[in-house]
Amino acid sequence: MKGYNGLYLMGNYPGAELFVETALYGLKHFDFLEIGIPFTDPVADGPVIERAAHELIEKGFRMDDLLRSVRRIRDGAPAGKKLLFMTYANIVHSRGAAPFASLCRKAGVSGVILPDVPFEESAPFRRAFRPEGVDLISFITPENTEEQIRKIATAASGFLYCISIRGITGNALSLDAQTQKKIALARSHSRVPVVLGFGIRDRATAATALKHADGFIMGTAVIEALNRKKLPGVRSLLRSLEETA
Amino acid sequence: MKPLPDNKGYFGPYGGRFIPETLINALLELERAYTAFRKSPEMKRELDNLLKNYAGRPTPLYHARRLSSSLGAEIFLKREDLLHTGAHKLNNTLGQILLARFMGKKRIIAETGAGQHGVATATVCALMGLKCLIYMGSLDVKRQAPNVKRMMLLGAEVVPVETGGKTLKDAMNEALRDWVKNIRSTHYLIGTAAGPHPFPRIVRDFQTVIGREARAQMKRLLGEDPDFALACVGGGSNAIGLFHAYAGRSRTRLIGVEAGGRSHRPGDHSASISLGRPGILHGTRSYLLQDDEGQVLPVHSVSAGLDYPGVGPEHSYLKDEGLAEYVTCSDREALEACLALARHEGIVPALESSHALGYVMAKRARFKNQKVLINLSGRGDKDLGIILEETEI
Repeated sequence: MKGYNGLYLMGNYPGAELFVETALYGLKHFDFLEIGIPFTDPVADGPVIERAAHELIEKGFRMDDLLRSVRRIRDGAPAGKKLLFMTYANIVHSRGAAPFASLCRKAGVSGVILPDVPFEESAPFRRAFRPEGVDLISFITPENTEEQIRKIATAASGFLYCISIRGITGNALSLDAQTQKKIALARSHSRVPVVLGFGIRDRATAATALKHADGFIMGTAVIEALNRKKLPGVRSLLRSLEETA
Repeated sequence: MKPLPDNKGYFGPYGGRFIPETLINALLELERAYTAFRKSPEMKRELDNLLKNYAGRPTPLYHARRLSSSLGAEIFLKREDLLHTGAHKLNNTLGQILLARFMGKKRIIAETGAGQHGVATATVCALMGLKCLIYMGSLDVKRQAPNVKRMMLLGAEVVPVETGGKTLKDAMNEALRDWVKNIRSTHYLIGTAAGPHPFPRIVRDFQTVIGREARAQMKRLLGEDPDFALACVGGGSNAIGLFHAYAGRSRTRLIGVEAGGRSHRPGDHSASISLGRPGILHGTRSYLLQDDEGQVLPVHSVSAGLDYPGVGPEHSYLKDEGLAEYVTCSDREALEACLALARHEGIVPALESSHALGYVMAKRARFKNQKVLINLSGRGDKDLGIILEETEI
């Protein structure tokens, strides 16, 4: 697939085996894997990902179990593929940002995505992550001003996560002219790829994303395919992307 | 003392703006609008007029003589239960609805637990002719049915939230998601002194009328400040409204009473400060009930309005600075206090407010011959079903 693209999976969902298997299959197609650590109150996520998180927590999710799966993915994935964690501020805060970063490094996780940490609250996290070589991924959104986009894009490391819509995961994609302009501005200031997320669910939306950004992230649609038809569902979804992109 | 919060929205290490990047500019816009709003003499006149002639301020300060003599302490009640709609919540919703109109917002959303903030929001939306949508956990919809009917009567749409524990926390998650989607048209009218900056400050400012009035009324009555001032703490809006008049400015000892629930085991209470540790939820860093990996714990309280795992960031600051003390009162003690106030004074308090009195009754030796001010933040009509179920009447 062309572009710099990411696959989102909820860590150890629906179970550890299927998670690892899907991740390894996905990394044949995708450049990076975003591993969701479930949180009780995922305010940036829609019902599909929230339900998956609650199901895992009810079954007694523990970070150590997830780390075992992450190591298996690390060992089995082709070289050069990146692993990232996606979770909420309190999961990192609870352990302490520095210990969390050290845990990431040891597990071979190169970046962390925290949708409830906006750029202006990000400094303490960045400071704690840097010595471990772990990136805190920044967001830009259609609501940001051009000045904010310049500032955020210039400081971005890992990649820059461009939220395509005003909304939460699982909502429909729509890129108005103004948003397209903002993505272009971000690309001109960023040293790292600008990757579009939220609303990418099939070949058409993936193609739209690749027209405007350096890549895309797919999440909710993958979890839905996994829920419906397990790994074969994900396989046919990813194969259909390959045909276009 | 420097005025808090600072310009980043922090009370010491607590507070901040932990929300999706999409919301940052809406919060900055709100902050700018609020600064202009505060400086506007017309807005101040309009709010003062509504507080007086619509809401019924000032609320009385009442010396509860029969209860006092039965407890061996002098008990004074700040009667926020007599405010229009039956609780202190209206102080904040009147202020914020004027602010929303000032910003040109057409649609109002809010979360509610016990339904008091929902009713107060539906009320001011009716008053201003604005569209109103209230998120409420489906468990609370069942527990607080009369308030749901009141909101609908006032023209609001009530959306039951089915996720998580189906209470206040989950309603707040849903309201935040709505706000991210409808940020241009919508004002999120947060009901407690929590959430991302500038909400803790805005809600506090609109609630400080409680403490300003109460302190002046106590001085007129006694010629001095009380020995103690108590309020119940869920998110903490009525307590911060009362405490602000005293904290760091008076010898009065401030006590916030959290919901001790059935026991101090995880899941059995809502005592965020007494039994939690600092964390990040709903936009703010503050004390939080969470497990060892940072998952937010389920909470319980007999009163739906205290049923929240977090607390406003300024309370965390007051606690760490030793400016206020935070304690717990159990479900049982709160119910006993509710009954005692009904039988001694003919006042049926909300189960939330009953926690403040419940602590004084449970620890009566500590308050012997002391002058004790209690914020009676709401009336108990909405709780009749639960009170009858839980007591032998």
